[in-house]
Amino acid sequence: MNIALQTRPPALSEYYSETKCIWCDGCGNYGIWTAVKYALVELNLHPWQVCLCYDVGCNGNGSDKIEGYRFHGLHGRVIPFASGAKLANMKVPVIAFGGDGATFSEGIGHLIHGVRSNYPITFVLHNNTNFGLTTGQASSLTPQGQPMNTSPNGIPEHTLASMDLVFSLNPTFVARGFSGDIKLMTRILKAAIQHRGFAFVEMLQACPTYNHFATHEYLLDRYFDANAGGHDPSDLQQARALATQVQDRIACGILYQREDIPDFYNRLIPRQGLQTTCVEEVRRYDVSEYWKELV
Amino acid sequence: MSRISLKIVGASGQGINSIGAIIAKGLKRSGYCVFGYREYPSLIKGGHASYQLDVSNERICSTETKVNVLVALNHHGLELNMDELKQAGIVLHVTPGWQFPEHHRKLISELNLRVIYFPVDDILNRLGARAILSNVLLTAFVWSMLGQDIDVIKSLVGATFAKKKALLELNMRCIDEGYSFADPEQGAISVALPPPDKGFASHLLITGSQAMGLGAVHAGVRLYAGYPMTPSSPLLSFIAELENKTHMVVKQAEDEITAAQIVSGAMYMGTRALTATSGVGFDLMSETLSLNAMIENPTVFVLAQRPGPATGLPTWTAQSGLLQAANCSAGEFTRCVIAVSNSQDAFDLMPIAFNLAEQYQISVIVLTDKQIAEALYTQHPYDLERAEIDRGRLVVEPEKLKALKSSDRFNPHAKGGVSLRWLPGSDAATYCAQGDEHNSMGAVDESSLNTRLQLEKRLLKFEGLKARLPAPHLSIGGRSAKTTDWMDAGDEIELLAIGWGSTGEVFQDVMRSDELRGWKIAYLHYTYLWPLRTQELRRLAKRSKRIVLVEQNYQGQLGMLIRMECGLDISDKILKYDGRPFFYDELLSSVMERCASTSENEEKFPGLEHAGSPS
Repeated sequence: MNIALQTRPPALSEYYSETKCIWCDGCGNYGIWTAVKYALVELNLHPWQVCLCYDVGCNGNGSDKIEGYRFHGLHGRVIPFASGAKLANMKVPVIAFGGDGATFSEGIGHLIHGVRSNYPITFVLHNNTNFGLTTGQASSLTPQGQPMNTSPNGIPEHTLASMDLVFSLNPTFVARGFSGDIKLMTRILKAAIQHRGFAFVEMLQACPTYNHFATHEYLLDRYFDANAGGHDPSDLQQARALATQVQDRIACGILYQREDIPDFYNRLIPRQGLQTTCVEEVRRYDVSEYWKELV
Repeated sequence: MSRISLKIVGASGQGINSIGAIIAKGLKRSGYCVFGYREYPSLIKGGHASYQLDVSNERICSTETKVNVLVALNHHGLELNMDELKQAGIVLHVTPGWQFPEHHRKLISELNLRVIYFPVDDILNRLGARAILSNVLLTAFVWSMLGQDIDVIKSLVGATFAKKKALLELNMRCIDEGYSFADPEQGAISVALPPPDKGFASHLLITGSQAMGLGAVHAGVRLYAGYPMTPSSPLLSFIAELENKTHMVVKQAEDEITAAQIVSGAMYMGTRALTATSGVGFDLMSETLSLNAMIENPTVFVLAQRPGPATGLPTWTAQSGLLQAANCSAGEFTRCVIAVSNSQDAFDLMPIAFNLAEQYQISVIVLTDKQIAEALYTQHPYDLERAEIDRGRLVVEPEKLKALKSSDRFNPHAKGGVSLRWLPGSDAATYCAQGDEHNSMGAVDESSLNTRLQLEKRLLKFEGLKARLPAPHLSIGGRSAKTTDWMDAGDEIELLAIGWGSTGEVFQDVMRSDELRGWKIAYLHYTYLWPLRTQELRRLAKRSKRIVLVEQNYQGQLGMLIRMECGLDISDKILKYDGRPFFYDELLSSVMERCASTSENEEKFPGLEHAGSPS
């Protein structure tokens, strides 16, 4: 992250939006939305300094409930759009948001290549374990056999092991938050935004309308801050175990982080040593040098 | 126009391209205009492939079906390509003891063909050279047949091996041997070339893909993302080859959707970014086209056409993507479709495409095809002062940024539907680039009034764009003309042809042919295809005895758009949809047939009504 020093720190009110919230009562999005604003303010970022990219889903309905340069795109596609935005201007922190439906179904290829590429962005997974905005269908993270809209007998497929998948991709940052703990989410988000590569942040959130299995109370009873309990995020094996073993207690916090792997942009040989961004470099170029071999 | 053609055939990977490229460059440096055309199957080794060079001392941009010289690197060429020779043509082959079948012997005698067996293995053995040098031997022999200076070919080959002395010496000996070879039966044989025009010596030999790549860099493109798909891949490769010099961000994406999204994100952030694909790859990009329309994000997509449906013919050419480009993707919105025609506008249209995209905050689809992407053009060095970088209503000055309101971004009352745009990271009021229907600041708004206003805003751009796009280019007998000049002259047009893309150059060559001298033939060439201007066409149609559509697709797709836009139904069509481009002689005979029938009709029905009339 590369943020210009500001003389005047931002106020939380700079992120106020005129648009009314339309999430259901008790939706986990209220908590995540609040934590995002806190994290940005605590990082001294004004709305004009950040780029927030939203996938389609209930999370995406937050795109006009906050200030900042925002983007609300197509289902499943937020990671490549956000990555393209970031690569064009490395000076602007880019945070992408997507639900479990978009991220682990339509956009799963983008997630895989996003983690693999280690794009310098933050990705916040709004995990409410179903397709909320299309009225409660099973996602690939919904427990097998759980009756849902369009699957009255429960889905026949087994549940996708999302954290096993993420850890198989050599991630550089994996964290998990819970929509009921704003302080924890704020800490995680700040670390994620400051991380040099692809920061994968899962937010477990309640969906009071469609998710009757992993409810707010269910999550509240089981989540804990692993860092407070002494978990060292540099310990890959322990991180993977904590991330994947969620039957009894659910470990939250910064589960894994390594800073020694350069992000995608910093691995681009042609960009080494350049101080300018692609945005600043748009002008007419003399290309006669490149056609010499063609004469 | 005097022209000769030379075709090298053999298996893919046998060195056809290297022989073709060296001879092309040598001839160009000696003062000839060369047009190179490749045919090859979609595989890496084996399979029958060809590289044809058509050569003249005047500008030439087309390929003939009949050739003066056939160079066969294997016996398949002798089996498959003998029918392509012209009267008194030369067959050069390397197959020892080849016995031509009866029908070919007959052909040889009827056409008075000269067959030369070049004993490449004997010469290689004598020189102690490896098989790879057979191409140098052959190249040198062809060079001597063409009556060209040996030093030109030595300097070309020498440049490749300048640092490897032993190899260099062996190559030079091969050149001497090949150059001095004389067939014991045929004796010295030469192919007469017209006198050179030294002006071509300083030209570039460039493919359409390279031209487009240079144009993109010239236009300020700083990020390129793509997924390999012929015939768009050569552009990706060329941009990647240059990356250490241009310092661009180059990303080979995991699929076309990703490439389109990365480029869109980069454009939203404010750089200039490009992607290219073909056929079904563009289908995958089309959802992103719709997205960019909604968020009014300027973007440029290159659609390199090849025959479909599905995988189709990956390494062959077509103009079947016009309706796809003009119509694909969800919702009603303004887009611009333009088509490159040759190596000149493959370069020139890149800055123009980006300017249009930014001026109207729309997507511009630039059509090319396999023929343009991979053909080799003799190209005058580009004018690097002509292009302008116009970023439209982009606000960058700090004072002006400070004065902005969020609601300026998608202000539905903005002039021409084009509202102010400013970039993330600018110290200003912020907005949401909102994929849902939205109000002026990008907040979701599904109300009836807002829905109408925003839709009208986005489609109002269509009118402004249409009014501003350049007119189609008219040429008469191979000379450029302004449409109005032609009108004012009051002349009648005997044949008005309408085409676009790679068809244009072939038609230009046809119009300059001796056979058509004296005919009042006009050719209207569309570069800007959507929105489609028809006023010039309608005026010309009234003055034309006969109108014909020339396209490389089955349906006559430009004709369909013309009919949709102005009601003019062009029933006479010269269409080609076999994966091959129009060939010079083939198109010439189609045009001559029409000229002949026009004059017959005139004799029968003096005062014949004009062929086309807008309804």
